[in-house]
Amino acid sequence: MIDRQAAVGVLRRYVWVPAALIGAVGLAWVITAIYGDLVVTRVVTLALLHTVWVVGLFAYSGNSGMMSFGHVSFAALGAYATAYLTIPAGLKPTVFPDMPGYLSWLLDIQASFPVALLVSGLVAALFALVLAPAIVRLAPLQGAIATLSLLIIVHTVLNNWTEVTRGQSTMIGVPADLGLGGAAIGAMGAIAIAWALTSSGAGLRLRASREDAIPARAVGVAIGRERTVAWVTSAFILGVGGGMYTHFVPTFNPDQFFLAATFTIVAMLIIGGMKSLTGALVGAATLSALSEVLRRVESGHIGELGLPAGSAELMLALFLLLMLGFRPRGLTGGREVPWPGLLAGRRGGGVLGAPRGVRRERRSET
Amino acid sequence: MAEVVQHVVDALSLGGIYAALTLGLGLLFSVMRLVNFAYGELIMAGAFAMYLLQDTPLLVLVAGTLAVTIGVALVTERVAFRPLRGVDPMTLLLASFAVSVMLQNGARMVFGPIAKGVAPYPFLEQDLIIGSVRISVLDLTGVVLTAALIGAVAVMLQKTVLGMQIRAAAEDAEMADLLGVKANRVIAAAFAIAGVLAAVATLILIFQQGAVSVTVGFLPVLIAFVAVVVGGLGSLPGAALGGLLIGATTGLLDAALPTDLAPFRDAFLFSIMMALLVIRPQGLVPQKEARV
Repeated sequence: MIDRQAAVGVLRRYVWVPAALIGAVGLAWVITAIYGDLVVTRVVTLALLHTVWVVGLFAYSGNSGMMSFGHVSFAALGAYATAYLTIPAGLKPTVFPDMPGYLSWLLDIQASFPVALLVSGLVAALFALVLAPAIVRLAPLQGAIATLSLLIIVHTVLNNWTEVTRGQSTMIGVPADLGLGGAAIGAMGAIAIAWALTSSGAGLRLRASREDAIPARAVGVAIGRERTVAWVTSAFILGVGGGMYTHFVPTFNPDQFFLAATFTIVAMLIIGGMKSLTGALVGAATLSALSEVLRRVESGHIGELGLPAGSAELMLALFLLLMLGFRPRGLTGGREVPWPGLLAGRRGGGVLGAPRGVRRERRSET
Repeated sequence: MAEVVQHVVDALSLGGIYAALTLGLGLLFSVMRLVNFAYGELIMAGAFAMYLLQDTPLLVLVAGTLAVTIGVALVTERVAFRPLRGVDPMTLLLASFAVSVMLQNGARMVFGPIAKGVAPYPFLEQDLIIGSVRISVLDLTGVVLTAALIGAVAVMLQKTVLGMQIRAAAEDAEMADLLGVKANRVIAAAFAIAGVLAAVATLILIFQQGAVSVTVGFLPVLIAFVAVVVGGLGSLPGAALGGLLIGATTGLLDAALPTDLAPFRDAFLFSIMMALLVIRPQGLVPQKEARV
């Protein structure tokens, strides 16, 4: 009996939420693959790529309660790393005609797409590790502004270091070989990593500090260290996500990794519910669907006239503002996918991440 | 020597603009814990007012710009921020981010995405020549105007009843409320003052740049925010100090960076500010517990 309870406990704490979310992604993949036409497939693929980014942002912001406006720069780093590694060697001299001598090795290195993604993630994680001392010690508001400065720094460098990054010119030559399946697998991987962090001891201590920093510190949580773990992990996810994005679009420039993208992923996380991984997925799905509908209205595909450019983004911002006013915890209320009642024998609430989740967790362990 | 003086005037003129912005931002943060990203859109709104009024006499243009920035400030307060009063500062920050995106895209719907030119009045384009030093009238006007305005706001905060109420609300909003200070009045007043500060910064900034676009306010306000944080979030003298400091640093970087590094100026500027935050996470004039 005790063994069964323990097994259910493990299942509930470590397996249920990621399994349910990965299952949802798989379902979206299968349904789209069977029924989706070209446009729908493209929209769903993009939604899954956004999911990777939002799940990455959740790994840091959701667990720590620190909002970050700088995470898109990790995606940018991953995107450029993947581009250097996967643009065919024969094309590189044309793509980067002015590459300075001390960086000419960038023209020679080459890797397969999966290896390139791994390297991209590691590059972003390393960059995050270097920045961590500056970011993790700040209070939430200061942290938000500091991460926004990070976004500006990276964008300025990418935009102006023309010999190396092509600056404002479009990056060309990246193979366009990421489809629906690749994006779905990426989203599943991101979910697995984010949940591993969330359900780990580090994740638990971090959420304790999110709910109330002073008592958390009093019971021995080293907030800076836990935040660093989450910051670096989430940078890794964003780095991989940025690399994946390049093989989907496949042309891009620094502006794709700036304010509009930042607003999109922050809005997705807030609207879904910042404090739960489920919220990250719900937000990504909701906003992707909504912005696709708005885009069609704006371009005149739905309705008679069409609206002036900018109206779609305005509506999304209005939606975010209304959510903040009426449902600040997001659509999920910060709860995870509910544990099905029939398995537990009682109606379950959230496992982790819900406002009272930390306390509930502690009680179940003692 | 002449070059040094010119750089000093440049730095002062920038510092003045930033100090006006940081003071406006600091004021809003003090009275309602609002980190207002939509402040940049006050500049944008003022800039478009200048674009529409550029063929009218100077007085009309100044009055119009003032009216528009104050109007937008008060409307955003009433419509977006008053209903959210009392929520945690992070939610307020995100709300202001949403308001900023809304105003920007609203302007994009009306004016289109392409930048438009605003020609300064001819007298502002002249140079004042003192000995071997050339100083542009515009820069000098900017220094004088922002210094006067900041001084006026400081006097207002210290000497008037309204100023005292604003400082009281900034110190402890609940206590001020119990003592009969009307929160709505104080906060609306703070928004109006912030609107005036934004208008003056806009006038100088846009005449210097000569162009307006929907994103014109974003970077100056972000720089001002970083300055507020470096100065010490929640402290008004800290805010003004941060603004002056960041203006001076920008001027210094403009003078010191070699040509091939000049496009990277903002990257250097923000890196320096982040380094300062590593050393002093609570800011130069610390107010509250800001580090963990």
